[in-house]
Parts: sequence; C-alpha cells; structure tokens
Amino acid sequence: MLFSSITFLYLFLPFTILLYFLIPQKGRNFVLLVMSLLFYAWGEPVYVLLMLAQIVVSYVLLWLVDKFRASRAVRIFYILSVFLPFAALFYFKYFHFFMDTIFGIQTKAIALPIGISFYTFQIASYCVDVYRGRVKRQRNLVTYAAYVTLFPQLVAGPIVRYSEIEQTLTQGIDFSSFYENFKRGVVRFAVGMGKKVLIANVIGEFVTEVVALGTRNLALSWAYAIAVSLQIYFDFSGYSDMAIGLGGILGFQFPENFRYPFISRSVTEFWRRWHITLGAWFRDYVYIPMGGNRVSMPRWILNILVVWLFTGLWHGAGWNFITWGLLFAVLLVVEKGVGKLFGGKKYAANITDFAKAVIGILKQGYVIFVILVSFLIFHNDSLSGAIADIQSLFAQGNYIAHNIGSMEKAVYAYILRNRIVILCVGLIGSTPLPLWIWTKVQEWLQGYRIGDRVVCVLMDMMVLGLMVLCTAYLIDGSFNPFLYFRF
Amino acid sequence: MKEYKWKQRITIYGFVLCLVSMMVLIVISPKETVSSAERRRLAEKPELTTKNLIDKSFMDDTEKYLLDHFPFRDKLRRIKAYFAYDVLQQKENNDIYVVNGHAAKLEYPLNEASIKRLAVKMKGLRQQYFPEQTAWYAIVPDKNYFLAEQNGFPSIDYERMGTLLSQELRVDNAPDTTFRFMDIVSGLTIEDYYRTDTHWRQECILDVARCVGDMLGVGEALSFSDSQSTFIENEIKNFYGVYYGQAALPMEPDTIVYLTSEVTDAARVWSLEENMQSGKNTKTVLLPDEEGAVWKSVYQTEKLADSKSLDKYDVFVGGASSLQIIRSPKAATQKRLILFRDSYTSSLAPLLLEAYKEIVLIDLRYIDSMRIGTYVDFAEADILFLYNTSIINHSEMLK
Repeated sequence: MLFSSITFLYLFLPFTILLYFLIPQKGRNFVLLVMSLLFYAWGEPVYVLLMLAQIVVSYVLLWLVDKFRASRAVRIFYILSVFLPFAALFYFKYFHFFMDTIFGIQTKAIALPIGISFYTFQIASYCVDVYRGRVKRQRNLVTYAAYVTLFPQLVAGPIVRYSEIEQTLTQGIDFSSFYENFKRGVVRFAVGMGKKVLIANVIGEFVTEVVALGTRNLALSWAYAIAVSLQIYFDFSGYSDMAIGLGGILGFQFPENFRYPFISRSVTEFWRRWHITLGAWFRDYVYIPMGGNRVSMPRWILNILVVWLFTGLWHGAGWNFITWGLLFAVLLVVEKGVGKLFGGKKYAANITDFAKAVIGILKQGYVIFVILVSFLIFHNDSLSGAIADIQSLFAQGNYIAHNIGSMEKAVYAYILRNRIVILCVGLIGSTPLPLWIWTKVQEWLQGYRIGDRVVCVLMDMMVLGLMVLCTAYLIDGSFNPFLYFRF
Repeated sequence: MKEYKWKQRITIYGFVLCLVSMMVLIVISPKETVSSAERRRLAEKPELTTKNLIDKSFMDDTEKYLLDHFPFRDKLRRIKAYFAYDVLQQKENNDIYVVNGHAAKLEYPLNEASIKRLAVKMKGLRQQYFPEQTAWYAIVPDKNYFLAEQNGFPSIDYERMGTLLSQELRVDNAPDTTFRFMDIVSGLTIEDYYRTDTHWRQECILDVARCVGDMLGVGEALSFSDSQSTFIENEIKNFYGVYYGQAALPMEPDTIVYLTSEVTDAARVWSLEENMQSGKNTKTVLLPDEEGAVWKSVYQTEKLADSKSLDKYDVFVGGASSLQIIRSPKAATQKRLILFRDSYTSSLAPLLLEAYKEIVLIDLRYIDSMRIGTYVDFAEADILFLYNTSIINHSEMLK
C-alpha cells in the first residue's frame, strides 16, 4: 500500500488510528502487527508469508542464542540468524543478476518482495545487537513481529533499530509528550505528503516528458539532471517524512533520514545527510567491524570499497548501482587524501577570506556536479543510458540533436518553461531556506499577543491545504510511482 | 502551557475528524456509474476472489474504484487544475491547454515513423483492394494547427507531415498517379471547431464538403455552396466535449448543430456492430441486404435520450464504429464513396449524401484491414482517406 493512495489515506489510516487509540495499551502492539500485516499484504499478498517466516525463524534462532549463550553452539545459531535473512535477500534480489551477468547462466527473473532490503537489515541488526548484548532479546513474539513489520517504516525506511523504539513497544506511549508528538507527526506527515505528491510527482512528469522527447539541448540536459536529482530526493525524503510523521502519531520516535543533503560541501558530508539510517547501518555493521579507519591505508581503502560496493548493491542488482556505489567510494578516498594534503592548519592559516569564499563555492559546485552525475547513473536502468545522459551535460552523445530546427527549439523551450516554477520550488525546497523563513515568521508573530494562536492557525491551515491539494492531485493524476519501493 | 496543549488538541482532533469523516463519506456516499464531466464510465466495485487477491488486481481495482467515487471528485480535480495553472504556472493541465476559450490537447513532436507506417498501410490497402483506382487523401488539422504556435505551445510540424506523407505515397497530383492529395485546410479556422471538443462543427464545414465533392467530381450534385445552405439546423444544447473533462476547468458548453434535409432524412445507416449476432460459438453478421439487417437514421438522437452514449457527438451516424454503410435513396447520382476515416468524418459524410447513393465508412482503429474485403466492394467507387493529424501522428492504432 502506498502512503500516497486514497486507500491508505482515507480508509487504512483513520481506521488504524481509531483502533490503535481506542483499545487498551496492552493490545496496541497486536493491533499494530495486524494492521501492518494488512498494509504489507495489500501490496504483497503472497510474500507476506515470507516475511512472517523470517520473523518466526529469527525469533526462534535468537531464543536458541539466549538458551545456549554459554555453549559453543551459540555461534551457529547467531550466524544462522544473520545469514538466513541475507540468503533470502540474495535469492530474491541478486540471484538472477549474478547468474545471468556474472556467470552467464540464463535464469528466470524473480519478483522482488517489496521492502525486503529494509526489513532484512532490521532483522539482521536486531540479531547482531541481541547477540552482542546491546539490546535485550524481545521475548514476546507479537512485540518482536510488530517491530519488524511496523507499517510506517516497513517498505521504505527509515531503517529503525530495535533499540530506537524499544521503549514505546514495551512500555507503551509516553503520554507526557503525546500531544506534542502527535501534532508534530501530523505536520511532518502532511509535509512529506506534499513533498512526494506536489513536488516529486510533478517533477517526475517533467522527467518523463524529457525522456519521451528523445533528444534535448544543453539547457534541457542540465534541467533534466537537476530534475532527476530533485525527484529522487523529494520522493524518498517525502516518504521518510511521512514515515517519521506516522511514527510520531503512533507514539514512536523514528530517526531522521535526510538533512538537506544538497547543501553539502563534500561527498563525505553528503552521505551524512542523505539516507542517514542506511549509512549508519553500514558504518555500524560492516565498516567498523572491518576495522573502520583504524587500519593501514590499503586496508582502509579496501574497507571503503567493500562498504560502497554493498551500498550500491543494496539499491539494486545492476551495473549502474555498482558503478554508483564505487563512484562514491573513489570520491570518498580522494576527498580523504586531499583533506590530508591540504586540510591542515598550516594551509588554513595562509588562505585569505576571499580565497576561502572561492574554495567554498568550488566545493559546493563540485558536490552538486557529483550529485547530478551520480543520480543520472542511479536513475537509469542501464549504464549506457547513464553515459548518454552524462554526455548530454557536455552537449555530446546520442541525446543531443545537432542541426535542430525552430520547431524543436520551441519544444525544448516550452517544456522547460512549463515546469520552471516547480523546478525552482524544488531547488528552494531542498535547502533549509523555507524552514528558516518559517522560523523567522514564527519569531516575529510571537512578539504579538495573539502570535501563538496565529502560528497555530497557520500551521493547521497548511496541513489542511496540503492534504486537500495532495488528495486533488491523487484523484486527478495517475502519475504516482514510488521510486524506493524497488529496493 | 494549558493553552498550548489545547491548541495541539485542536490540530489533532481536527486531523483525525477529517480523516474519519472522509472515511465515512467514502463508505456512505451514493455511487455514480458515469462521470458526465469526464464522459466515461466509472470503475465498478471489484469482487473479492482468491485469484484477484493473489494477482493483486483486487487492490489495484479498489484503488481505481476509490479514486473514481471519491466525494467532491470534480471539485478536487478543479482545485488541482487551478493549482497547476495559477500557482505552478503550468501552461497545461493533463496536456490540455485553454486559449481564447478554446481547449486543445498538446500533440508533439512529429512522429515520422508513424507517417511512414501510414503510407505503407495506405499503399497496402490500395494494392489489395483497389489496384487500378486513384485514391484521394486529405488531412484534417487538429486544433493545435490554429492555436499552438501563435500562443507559444509546441506542435507538430504540419508542413513536414504533409510533405513526408506525399513523398512516401509518391504523389505529384498528375491524373494518372495512384494517390492524389486534396487540400481541405485552407478554408478552415479555429472557429470551425467546438470550443470544448476536438471535432469540427458540421455547420461550419460546408466548404470542406463542397471541396471534397468538387475534387471527386460530384460537386454538381451538391445543392449547397460555401455560403448558402439548404439544410435545416437542429440544435443539441449543453455539449461538453472531450477536453472539458480533461481540462477540469469551468468552460461554457458548446451547442451541436446538425444539418438535416430530405436527403439525410431518407438515408439510412448500417453498422457492423449493430448487425453482429452472437451465436453459441460463433459470431454472424447480418449483411446490409439480408433480411432483418438493422438500419438506423443518419442522426441518431435516440442515443442522447436514453444516455446510451456518453458523447453527444455520437449523434452523427451513431459515433464510433468499425464499418458503416450509409445508403442515400435520394442521391442525385448512382456513385459510391469509400471513406477510410476517423471520427471527424462522422459529421462530414451526411453532407455528401446528396451526391452518393452509398457511402462506406471504414475505421481501421476498430477493424483489421484484412477483414474489410468481406463486407466492402471497392469496384468503381471513389476512394478517400480522410484522417486528422493526431491519427496520422499515431498510426500505430490503425489495424
């Protein structure tokens, strides 16, 4: 079920909220589990059984881990508890790719269960944390299953660790901050819905129009690259916002997943702001166990390459995703090297303010260019398509039409003009500027006696307006894909 | 602090109340079967079966059903249209743009492969059914031809379209060539089209009918001229065309005017669909001269009365049909005309009934070209291909 669907918004969500809050605390995890299974089964009526099987198997294996903690057998149960979810993930996501592409053996493509990459990571992190004693094993199967299947974050993240929501799952909602969290959740959900439906989907229409055109000029090529990046950002961060908002409504606090990634001044910083929970997962469960950066230089480079190869593969079984991951690995290594060479205090002291400003602009330009290129690779189904898209940024390649007539020029200009406002909205919306303006307005209004009430009314009107507009767009349009479902 | 909590509660209760109210409204609101604004049948409630549950079609159909029957659907669609036009400054909504009160659908770029495909199709038909006869063809411009370029919208290169089709058909308009071009565009203006629909107005295309008649050599049999009509004008008010629903913007309805005379009153239409009888395992067709064949009037106003048709333009020879034969007992000649056509021809054909005792309308979007020989005799008939630019640009839909 998509969050941005009428079925979810006006049937599933109100029914779930009513049911969840009307029954006593001790039954809420059961309600969450049932509704989450219904939510998942709506999109995956068969694979819901696979997810349930994985939950039961991991539950039993962790019970065995606890039971045989003192014996040598514990390692077997632990390894199995981590290995089996990844074996399922490998089979559904990578088996066909490896057999066909790497071993040259023709196999039938396997349908990918929705959200398998997300819930596999959650199960695996839970198993590791229980084994290492970071969290206590959840003895109640319903509560554990409610954690894995929790519908707000089940199919597209953020990747929530058990420790992050353990308190709410075991002790219930904290009513001292309930109203505040609920209201924040409502606002966050509405904003996320707006990002997804009003910005990502509309920019997605522009992307589709350019692709359908077949050819483009230089300006349209750059606009297309920007649009692809914005579409992916608003689509995914909008979905994360909705998930965090829904979590707040239901009394959970999910971790942040995005923090204005496009204002980063380095690729390293970008990955601290983009899909934060995935980066943190790889850091804690792959990079650090491999030694992190407290190893020799060659080993550190190897660690980085492995982590980013996996990060690329996590997004999809394809050469474009592998290239995408390795591109970031190379850039991170280079950045680290450059930082070591020129980042010392000795160099910083010799640089004038003007030079610092220029370097700042150059850094920003470099990151934006890298982001655009990386998302062109990410967005394409094939590497050749990505190369053609990148070539078009330099007025080269298959997409650039030479000797175009006035008719084509008019078409290119029209397509860009027609969507220029939404592209500008997207560009501004991807920076902290709107939040900064809203904070300033709030501060200004709070200087007046009825300022608080005005802020409250404005907030309510924004939520209502966003919900009405999003519903209107959903009803009128059929363009409502969700990009991260394929992961 | 107390006041702050109170304000938070208003937001929370308001949000939950809105969601729950909408949920109740969705369940209890009366369900329409047809959307008059969008001129289409609305999705029906899907039945739950094991099969459609497993293949997920139940979920997809439920979403479609909810989208189609959502309370205040038309108002919400209008809000979306205003937001797209006025806030996002889009020039179109759902590919429909409105200029000077006329709605039109964007059509671009020129699809050269489609034109070549159409030429191959036309040559194939000629070779198969009428190898010795000259075939005429004409292009009906869509509304973009008059509106797009001068108002900053992209459009297809109409000149290139004409040239390419001519080249592919090897037309040089010499009398002995196989295909000959008929220019019907010069007399047309945007005012000859409905404001809310794609089609031209019958009362405005007498000059086109006259041009067609003259070029085919039957002009003398037509009683009307460009400026003088011998027809009686009949009106159908409140015609909301196909673009009205798609644009989702408030627009004044059009009035359909259909032209009748003794000749059109006497003429009758046989259509393949109306004469198809389903047997146990086979389908049989009652041919025009067989007993019991169904013949209807040229203007089928009964379709409007019982809401059989969602499109009032269907009044012209009954609307979309794969194959129709119109017989005109009061025609001035014994000639026959075979028209390969789209929906624009539905309003043009009745104007030619004074000159032809039989007009055959073939719509290759609905019938395979291999099958038409079963029903149509091409011998000694005038042949005319009359397609609008959208069909030429999307000839893949011709079978």
